[in-house]
Amino acid sequence: MVHAGSMYVIQKTERTVVELELDNGITGLGETWGTPDAYMLAQRFARQWLGKDALDRIALRELFGKTSYDNRFGRNGLATHAGLDLAAWDATARSLKMSLAELVGARRRESIDVVSTLPAAILPRAVTRKELTDHLDVLANTRLVVEFALQQVRKSGFRSFKLKSAAYSPEWDWKLLNELHEAMPKARIRFDPNANYGAATATELCRRLDTLGLEFFEDPTGELEGIARLKAAVKTPVATNMWVVKDEHLVPAIRRRAVDVVLGDLFMWGGIDAWRRMARVAHAYGLKPALHSVYETGIATVANLHLASALREVEYANDSGLHFLSSDVLAEPQEVKEGAMRLPAGAGLGVTIDRAKLDKLTLETTEIRA
Amino acid sequence: MAAPVSIAHTHVHSLRVASGAEALVARVLATDGTAGFGFTLNLDAGAARDMAAWDALGRSRAVPLYGLLGGAYRKTVKALQDDHPAIAADWTALRKDILAGRHQILCIDPFAWGSVEMVQTIAAVAGAFDLSIALLAPNAHPWEIQYCAALAATLKGEDTKIIVRSIPARSSVPVSEEQGMGIGWSSEPSFSKIQWQS
Repeated sequence: MVHAGSMYVIQKTERTVVELELDNGITGLGETWGTPDAYMLAQRFARQWLGKDALDRIALRELFGKTSYDNRFGRNGLATHAGLDLAAWDATARSLKMSLAELVGARRRESIDVVSTLPAAILPRAVTRKELTDHLDVLANTRLVVEFALQQVRKSGFRSFKLKSAAYSPEWDWKLLNELHEAMPKARIRFDPNANYGAATATELCRRLDTLGLEFFEDPTGELEGIARLKAAVKTPVATNMWVVKDEHLVPAIRRRAVDVVLGDLFMWGGIDAWRRMARVAHAYGLKPALHSVYETGIATVANLHLASALREVEYANDSGLHFLSSDVLAEPQEVKEGAMRLPAGAGLGVTIDRAKLDKLTLETTEIRA
Repeated sequence: MAAPVSIAHTHVHSLRVASGAEALVARVLATDGTAGFGFTLNLDAGAARDMAAWDALGRSRAVPLYGLLGGAYRKTVKALQDDHPAIAADWTALRKDILAGRHQILCIDPFAWGSVEMVQTIAAVAGAFDLSIALLAPNAHPWEIQYCAALAATLKGEDTKIIVRSIPARSSVPVSEEQGMGIGWSSEPSFSKIQWQS
């Protein structure tokens, strides 16, 4: 699949996979972004972790920095820490013979609904922005996206969708969302222009879209103030995974009544403990936490399933892009059936690496030992 | 969230402690046979059972409470004498008051709030609003202080502390590395005389 949205048009994804081995021989799995910066930071942080206690993830987090001011690595640092942190949680849960969901809180659900992303346009290959906009100028092309969505329903029974928008043509988005609603009247549909519409355009478009009963508008426009004004003008819930992404953003969002849904990304929030705290605070003030994701391997996809199972605050379906990847690194295929994925059984994440698959996909590997 | 432990049996027993006060002591028997204990002097059995479930889980996994909750922010906790009033256990009112800026410090009696999860939730909100947390050991009983220390270890915030109404014997309390709650039950001789139901 070619992913087309307002931020990029891509045909592949790169991830950093983390394997963390404890003294007791148990290995935990994690993953994070695959950028060169994240890969380099993962090595740096891993060296600091040697000899430390995986049971105490808070102490490991404090090695990275007690406050946001201490974080000299920005989003890359938080995301990289989250990748190692996930491996530490997995290793700890395996050591304690508990599932990750139980260690996070409880294993409340075995099946979690997941969301199928819908590209802004269906394209044969990754194209230039000019080629994309030429395609979007032909409104008849919206039918390709509708057909793609219906394929996902037939193949995996999806009930939830996220339409990415190129934020190029409100008329394209208006027409396409109406067609999707007509073709799948019971489906829950999110609309995500990644804040690339200006506030006035976004507000006008979202007011028109209000009648469709979409699940939520995700980052329809930019900055907390813009999104707050838009929220005040529409009935449909408003979500963000761009403007409430760290501790310091939560209280301003609560006070400003800026959003209804905090679509938190495990990596942007910096790990499980931070995500769990966010969920508790958001829920305490009537905001709904939900799990954001892009194109992650089965490791992070399953981690998100455990979080959704563990935390009663999570009600919405999880974002997931795993079903679009041509291959994964796990031995156990993580399938979407009837629009949902099941929590794997067993301790920790409940999954194992398929070494041959991982080797085939690996671009670079580094082993760090004491 | 109660502790994620499979419970086979729970028994709550009324106990007269050395000071003359009545305590409720709970024993939770996990399905793997591990026993955990909890207590309260405010006669709300729910708090005692919640504590016992976490204690059973910690003992069955041979880890202290912080090992089940993600880790520890500190290995010792400041303990102070303070008359700061404890906040009434009314979550709706507390959320409004925090939003209105009516608190600088959240003085919480964890026994009144009833569960480890509730204390964790209040602490998460306190952290987001940059408020300090003080855990009140209402009767300054050694068990209360040890429970507060186990909880305080897991709460974010430089100012996190335990407060008691009387002058504390020591200004800081170590966080136990013992399994479960790490409470020294033998400090009350009558504890060992309880006839637990099987």
